[in-house]
Amino acid sequence: MGKKLSAKSPATKPVVKQEMKQKPARQQATQASKKEGTMERVGIVGYCQIKPSLDLQMDRYEAAFKAVRGALDSANLKRKDLTSVISATNDYYDGRTISNCFTVEPSGSYLKDESKVEMDGAYAVLYGMMRVLSGNHKLVAVWGGSMASGFPYEVTTLLTTDPTFDRTKELLNIMTAGGFQMRAYMEKFGISAEDIANIAVKNRKNAANNEFALPESQDADITVEKVLESGVLSSPVTELMYSRPCDGMACVLLAPEKQALKITNSPVWITGVGYSQEQYYLGERDLSKSLSMENAAKMAFKTAGITNPKKEIDVAELFEHFAHEELILSNAIGISEPGSQSEIPVNPSGGAMSGNVLCATGLVRIIECAKQIKNEAKDHQISGAKRALASGQIGFCAQNNILYVLEGGEK
Amino acid sequence: MVRKQIEIAEGIVRADYEYWVGKYMDKFYEGLESQKFIGIKCPTCNKVYFPPRKVCGDCFKTIPLEDANLVDLATTGTLINFTATNYAVSERRKKKSEKTTIIGLIKIDGSDTAIITPVLETQESDINIGMKVEVVWDKKPVGSPDDIKGFKPAGGT
Repeated sequence: MGKKLSAKSPATKPVVKQEMKQKPARQQATQASKKEGTMERVGIVGYCQIKPSLDLQMDRYEAAFKAVRGALDSANLKRKDLTSVISATNDYYDGRTISNCFTVEPSGSYLKDESKVEMDGAYAVLYGMMRVLSGNHKLVAVWGGSMASGFPYEVTTLLTTDPTFDRTKELLNIMTAGGFQMRAYMEKFGISAEDIANIAVKNRKNAANNEFALPESQDADITVEKVLESGVLSSPVTELMYSRPCDGMACVLLAPEKQALKITNSPVWITGVGYSQEQYYLGERDLSKSLSMENAAKMAFKTAGITNPKKEIDVAELFEHFAHEELILSNAIGISEPGSQSEIPVNPSGGAMSGNVLCATGLVRIIECAKQIKNEAKDHQISGAKRALASGQIGFCAQNNILYVLEGGEK
Repeated sequence: MVRKQIEIAEGIVRADYEYWVGKYMDKFYEGLESQKFIGIKCPTCNKVYFPPRKVCGDCFKTIPLEDANLVDLATTGTLINFTATNYAVSERRKKKSEKTTIIGLIKIDGSDTAIITPVLETQESDINIGMKVEVVWDKKPVGSPDDIKGFKPAGGT
């Protein structure tokens, strides 16, 4: 019996494969791509942000509905146009298991292809892209967010530690990990706390120009002294160097190239993406740099055909959980030298510091880049922005990083 | 306002978990009971893991749990990084406590990985990266994580 089966399959398989390769639909799609050898373009055709708040006074379902409905409205589309819905939520943040099962109706996902990513929304976009690139989906809604007012975020991060040792010691959470990371970076490159406070100053000033920033993060008159004297969170990190978690939701709509051009004249194209992660145990990592972001950037730039990011990128929106992470990530991407600030504008919106909506912060970075490219960023618009970088992260000391290259809507 | 009260529902579920530490960590806890640090050496790349690990990620191979691979380590080490906080790590962050906890990443002499542990009997202003430290045992080790109370600057204070 076994012999019969194994004799049959090799004879038939190659023929099937060849037929698949010659499918005209596949050839057409490749030609539609910008360049031969690059990824098929996925278009962002709509988006919506719920303005973050320390207490949104809105339940999760209402917020999820507003985000998805808002994104559909922004593109003049309806629920019936959606073929797939991908969410980014976290069971611990939402206080129940399979947290997406409660958002089936408000996110418009019942009787649709639906799935969830238990990470930042930027990773859900990667999942959404996979649904689009499978060829089976014409419109994918990717939404994410959480309500930090309702759960002890720092405690949930302790629950990600190894239960057989680290968790029992109750020493490691997102704050203390951030303390290690900042010290490692300062020691390695001889950076002062003032240099890092400068990033917090920049981002909080930028937040003041962003209508979608957390009001408490906006401070047009902030100084380095104020940041340094804001109280120690976990040394050397101070309160104002920390991207404080808050309530919010966000949604983007993704469509395949052809469909995107039917929906809008000016889609924002995802032309490159890269993702990588580092070791789990902090004691085995060099916290002064981000190897995962180095890998993610290499991958994203290769796909997008970028060789000199300093020259070819106009603006970057990076998910910095702490001020020092903006420096570490910029360096890993190759838009700055070790220990220095980036040579291109980073986080004109204020970055994660302007509102760290867990499970949506990376997704909002993508939306911010889309706004820049579409010239919709109003008071924080970088003039002439054509090509942008958006990043998402998760884990202690940005263990996982994802980086997107986004470009303007020329046909 | 009454409105606020009906908006909030308290969670009432209590779900306790038990984790099997596994045969490798069992060696580690056995060691603690007799005030010893036991690590494991990957026979392929010679990397020493403390606490012992079943899989060497670099080699992507199982490290056989054999006496030849188990390493008796010193109970001293080097402070490679530290942070200090007045917030409880396992409680909702509301207010600071009076107590400052210094937390160190410590590489035990003879091992290649660092553990996260309290730094005791000193002040944050008196410690620096690279300093030598030694273990502070709990009075009666029983083979549990609490046997290691923390580490203090080596050479007595």
